[in-house]
Amino acid sequence: MRELLNHPAVQGGLAPFVVALIVAELLQRMRLSGLAIIAGFAATVYLVSGFAFDPLTASRKIVLLTLAASLFALPLMFFNPRWLRGLLAIAGGAAAVWVMQRILQQQAVSPMLLWGAGCAAYVGWLVFWMDGLHESSMRAASAGVGLGMGTGLAALFGASALLGQYGLALGAAAGAYLLIQMLTNAPLPCGRSITLPLSLAAGLIACLAVLTAELPWYVLPVLATIPLAAKIPVPAKQALWIQSALLTIVTLACAAGAVYLTWRVAGAPPI
Amino acid sequence: MLKRNIFAVLLVASLPMAAHAADSYTMDPAHTYANFTISHLGFSTMHGRFDKSSGKVTLDRAAKHGTVDITIESASVSTGFAKRDDHLKSPDFFNAAEFPSITYKSSAVKFKGDVPASVEGSLTMLGVTKPVTLTIDAFKCGAHPMNKKELCGAAASAQIKRSDFGIKFGLPAIGDDIKLDFEVEAYKD
Repeated sequence: MRELLNHPAVQGGLAPFVVALIVAELLQRMRLSGLAIIAGFAATVYLVSGFAFDPLTASRKIVLLTLAASLFALPLMFFNPRWLRGLLAIAGGAAAVWVMQRILQQQAVSPMLLWGAGCAAYVGWLVFWMDGLHESSMRAASAGVGLGMGTGLAALFGASALLGQYGLALGAAAGAYLLIQMLTNAPLPCGRSITLPLSLAAGLIACLAVLTAELPWYVLPVLATIPLAAKIPVPAKQALWIQSALLTIVTLACAAGAVYLTWRVAGAPPI
Repeated sequence: MLKRNIFAVLLVASLPMAAHAADSYTMDPAHTYANFTISHLGFSTMHGRFDKSSGKVTLDRAAKHGTVDITIESASVSTGFAKRDDHLKSPDFFNAAEFPSITYKSSAVKFKGDVPASVEGSLTMLGVTKPVTLTIDAFKCGAHPMNKKELCGAAASAQIKRSDFGIKFGLPAIGDDIKLDFEVEAYKD
């Protein structure tokens, strides 16, 4: 069993998928199915690196912020002013600077400001546009699958298996959440408990992979299209599973573009 | 007479200090390397080294005292395969972008006769500091045959667990035990 749990495909794929499936199903009646995403992510963190936070490295800050975001998102179910979306985006950008702080401080002023602003903009963008999907579980989950898979595989090709597994866990967990909806042909309760931790984590993982691994920066604009791709109109009269499949195909196509660009530059993933 | 006595006292008082003055050496970066070996999946042993190191050594053989201070650039890791080197520099392992230096600072040097035999000190990697003792396997001082400068060289080794420093990725498939081998040459200042 231990050998199975040490396998990277289990750690970054099967385990978060199964955990998310169970959590989404169990918490459905409490309208907290969205916590499936953080549950799946947490399962991977536990298996791959554990929950040590000292010293507080950038990757550990990502784990901490993702956990905090999922808790913070819960009361936002009852609180939805128009200005909240912008505020969350700004907070996401600030979080990016905090996570990358030690890395940015090693650099000269101009690159530090450029990379810092770029990371803040990317994370803020993802948080803003993913937040626009928080009322549609199907669209949020489809975007989550594309964003998680794209970020994870791109980070993996970019020479960080740790960040790759974190990203893939998000995609796997979102996939489990989406699968339940497709099988039951009924939407699950959604809300910011999905979109906020997912967009924040995916954004921070990609930025860290750019700054510390070999992920090319120009992959980020490709990944940034995924929340927009999840907003494309789909035939409303079609069954939910068809709509979900269509959306997921589109988001995965964007993800594939990001992975392809990374592969062209960085080559095969390290094994 | 008084001045002569004062002078004599000062001369005698200065003698112990002169006898215990330590010699200071600066490491030659072209001949100082930190090497490591680690088990890969239990199939083979991977060898790697850090290409860039610097540091200072002080040695007082008479007083049997010394200090060692080494700084290693974590981004200079080299294993002969660029993709693996990129992986080692990533947050999975040495996290070079966030922690550009690995340092070793001694707290005590133990002598066997007038030759250093071991160094007790602290190794700092990824923001974690742990006590590590280096065993000195070889030591020699003399004049460099070409430039005639006073040179000391040493080989030192130690065994650490990477998980002690928070490097847990790939355990247990990629080994936890790392053997460190330092080859050092340092010129007298």
